[in-house]
Amino acid sequence: MSVIVPFFQWCDNTMISQAIRNSRVAFPVIENFHLFALTVLLGSLVVLVLRQFGLVYKTQPISEVASALRPWNRWSMAVMLTSGILLFLSEAMKCYGNTSFRVKMLFLFLALLFQFTIYNRTVAGEDKVAPVGGKIAAGVALCLWFGVGLAGRAIGFLG
Amino acid sequence: MSILSMCQWLQDTNIGTSIRESIWVFPIIETMHVLGLSISVGLLLVSDLRLMGYIMKRRPASEVYEQIKPWMFTGFAIMTVTGIFLFWCQAVKAYNSIFFKTKVILLIVAAINAIAFERGIYRKVDKWDNALVPPMEARIAGWASLILWAAIITCGRTMAYTF
Repeated sequence: MSVIVPFFQWCDNTMISQAIRNSRVAFPVIENFHLFALTVLLGSLVVLVLRQFGLVYKTQPISEVASALRPWNRWSMAVMLTSGILLFLSEAMKCYGNTSFRVKMLFLFLALLFQFTIYNRTVAGEDKVAPVGGKIAAGVALCLWFGVGLAGRAIGFLG
Repeated sequence: MSILSMCQWLQDTNIGTSIRESIWVFPIIETMHVLGLSISVGLLLVSDLRLMGYIMKRRPASEVYEQIKPWMFTGFAIMTVTGIFLFWCQAVKAYNSIFFKTKVILLIVAAINAIAFERGIYRKVDKWDNALVPPMEARIAGWASLILWAAIITCGRTMAYTF
């Protein structure tokens, strides 16, 4: 683990990190955007997962719902990652010692990996009823992304 | 009894004190309140975007709205219940926070906007259900809803910094 400490120290000392720490409003403003993006990212995922479970928009093919939501999902992910990186830079050393942060990064890695290798394929079909595999993938994606959110909230509470 | 002393009484009740002093209950309620955003405002976003004429344009606006409505209301129920408990355990701080007061006012405005939409242009939805871009009144309701909720989230998050 100790080999990555210098990297965290470097992150903690960048000009951006210092600028955010020196500003009274930067951190809250960035965190607000992080929260907006969370709402859009998880919200669009919830709608798509509900569709795969056949609970909403049954008349629309799954792929149609997925493509309607895709730009919102992708943009919110971009805002999420950008604001998240900025928040991290401003307190990188604090994050290093924070177990919840490590758990969050693990969930984030798994969520991104799962979404771009497996999950996105399960929403590409024209079918109106999701196969069992698609439903399982939907449940897994939902758990992984909510896991990211849960661990993220725990950073502040649990350490 | 002034509002402030009522807030003081509320947070001094057994429930208020136990939530505030608990190790787990407060964080759990707070986390549900944050993640509940995705099921309440996150779903509302989809129907607002349809009203604004941006997504699912080939589907009837009423269908886009009605189908997620029960889920969205479940989300808002979670937000309301967890929000009440969060207020309960720190009512005095909330009372003294300008962000909390602004949030309450904005919540009322958002509710009025939603009711005005349901009782107004949505009554005539048959006439514009399949329109790719709904009429001005519906688009305004969609925009107002999104702007209000963004402001409500901002107030909610910011008040926590001042606690």
